[in-house]
Amino acid sequence: MAETPGRYIDACILGRRDLTERIAEFLIGAADRSPLPPGEAGSHIELRFGGPSGRFLRHYSLVGPLDPQPSPEPFWRIAVQREDRHRGSAFLHATFREGTRLQVSRPIGTFRLSHEPGPVLLVAGGIGITPILPMLRSLHLRNRPFRMFYAGRSRSELAFVEEVEAMGGSSVTVHDAAVAGLPDLTGLLNAQPAGVIVYVCGPGPMIDALRSAAAGLGWDPARIRHEVFNAAHRPSDGPVTVRLRDGREVAVGPGTTILEALEAAGVDTLSDCRRGECGLCATPVRPGAAVIDHRDSYLGPAERAEGRHICVCCSRVAGGATLELDIA
Amino acid sequence: MNLIDHKIAEENAIFDAMAPQTGDGFANHATPLIRNCWYVAGRSGEIGRTPLARRLLGVDVVLYRTEAGRPVAMRNRCPHRSFPLAKGRIVGDTLVCGYHGMAFDADGVCAHMPALNRAPASAAVRTFPLTDRGPLTWIWMGPAHLADEALIPALPWLTDPAWGTVTGDYRIKADYVAMHENLIDQTHFPFLHPDTVGTPEYARSKLTAEVEGDQVVIRRILTDAPPPAVYGKPAGIMGKRVTRTSEARFVSPALHRAYAEIIDSSPEPGQPGTYRYHITHVFTPETSSSIHYWWFNSRDLKPGDAGIDSFLHDASSKAYYEDVEALEWIMEVVEQDDEPQFDLSFAPDRPGLMARRIMYRKAMAEVVGGQSPVAS
Repeated sequence: MAETPGRYIDACILGRRDLTERIAEFLIGAADRSPLPPGEAGSHIELRFGGPSGRFLRHYSLVGPLDPQPSPEPFWRIAVQREDRHRGSAFLHATFREGTRLQVSRPIGTFRLSHEPGPVLLVAGGIGITPILPMLRSLHLRNRPFRMFYAGRSRSELAFVEEVEAMGGSSVTVHDAAVAGLPDLTGLLNAQPAGVIVYVCGPGPMIDALRSAAAGLGWDPARIRHEVFNAAHRPSDGPVTVRLRDGREVAVGPGTTILEALEAAGVDTLSDCRRGECGLCATPVRPGAAVIDHRDSYLGPAERAEGRHICVCCSRVAGGATLELDIA
Repeated sequence: MNLIDHKIAEENAIFDAMAPQTGDGFANHATPLIRNCWYVAGRSGEIGRTPLARRLLGVDVVLYRTEAGRPVAMRNRCPHRSFPLAKGRIVGDTLVCGYHGMAFDADGVCAHMPALNRAPASAAVRTFPLTDRGPLTWIWMGPAHLADEALIPALPWLTDPAWGTVTGDYRIKADYVAMHENLIDQTHFPFLHPDTVGTPEYARSKLTAEVEGDQVVIRRILTDAPPPAVYGKPAGIMGKRVTRTSEARFVSPALHRAYAEIIDSSPEPGQPGTYRYHITHVFTPETSSSIHYWWFNSRDLKPGDAGIDSFLHDASSKAYYEDVEALEWIMEVVEQDDEPQFDLSFAPDRPGLMARRIMYRKAMAEVVGGQSPVAS
């Protein structure tokens, strides 16, 4: 019988280089030097790494090889944009060096190219290039028809822009907003062949704009495919205190989730997806002053209004507040 | 050296350090299965609106079609509690798990989970590129970004009405390397297949063996000799002395094909004088010690003639079953005999060794980075 794999793999940073002023690339290898399984185009991994206030868990897309030839790589490549008010990426930029230890999940592949034959449009905005680049490479290697649109605030902020142009050739349009202004997304969609499927990754407002452009054209919404992001972290998050049934208090740092803080404090918890979908971490709340900011997609509107449960993997209360959990 | 070159050199050094140390060698039953190849998943007609479970390259796969007829291959294993998805049912384009009702769309992404308000966006099951080509449906079990459909071998005689084809299949408890070596070795014909393709003259006729890229081809011409029964009887030329040209080709780990031409230089009035045959052997490892095997015998003589169909079907089935038996007997010895043996090889084994060397190199090249990705 095949061995059951663990959820996380011990890994280390093999190298880093700066791609733009705010984006750095990191190569990740297995700590035991065995080759890491390649992820399918568009897949992402969870990174777990230590920080000053507990553990961080962040999701990053696997960029994959940059070589336009089909050569494999036994390591993983991610690119991380430093968001000054997001503690995870700033901490990672400041501390990750060759040899830094961390844990990684196996590739999670839900943002994926369909095997459906037919034309494809790839749309990347800024750091959203990370899952789109391996999709471009996959289409390029298989000689599939596609167009690509890569937009950013200025060309100097576009990571991998040369690799994108080398692989995509004339199928790629690079849109420099500093020169050309806001992109005309309706015009972009209108120029595509019939039946095109669009894969988009980028800032939330860009994805929303593309979806409404498609809706305006009367397109089936299923033709716009996008990544669903982890909602656990927001720049405005402050430190939180959790009080358990026995009065014990657990401090939750600003870049950490309640779940991670509970785990670090040795409290028994159940969890799986860590992105507010599976509901396994839904935890009973005792009536109190704290207003829950529900960020999960598990609890329905009635359960949210009731406020008796919180999905501790991603939901939160306002900074400085104390959350009373009905667990020991 | 500029910065980029320096970084590339650094990455290459990391890559080299992680590469396994492999010498040269010949593939056998213990060599890792080659995944970067289009293999046959089944006959296109057997994939439909009922889930079909099949183990391919050691992975349990479920095959079905969408309402529009697109063939879909996904892991036959629910990512929730490993329930075989083929035991569930098809609803629209989705496959619904028979355990807790999780529904997966044709891209393998969870579309519905009855126990939750909203489908979990991170739940998915791996899917595999799958494409119909005539009577066969081909699957790519390696990394999907390498699945270039242009690499699917063309087999036009299987759909061309100018050719008559008979076909059959076997599941064989033997490895695909041994099967390839068997098919490109024609010196066993007179002994294993004396009643069909083997003649004593054939065993001694000169053959040429060449490597052409990743393929191995053997060719031979036998002149002024009686035809073998499998070709001579349907053409009604058993008493004649003919020229027999044949070519056998290791095309890919998934395919061996052979071509034979029988020329009767003084044909009876109304007879064509030249008779052509395409023999197509496609097979896919089920595990490293068993294969799914489909064979096709195509001829340009009287396509649609029921009598010839029936004769060729029976003769081919008999000949290929002789191979099946031989390979299973060999596998049984290899697996069960405790006293190890390194098999001897002789000059006629050159083509088989050439094919096994190509398979070994392909398999080893995949060991570093070509492992099957784990979708979720």
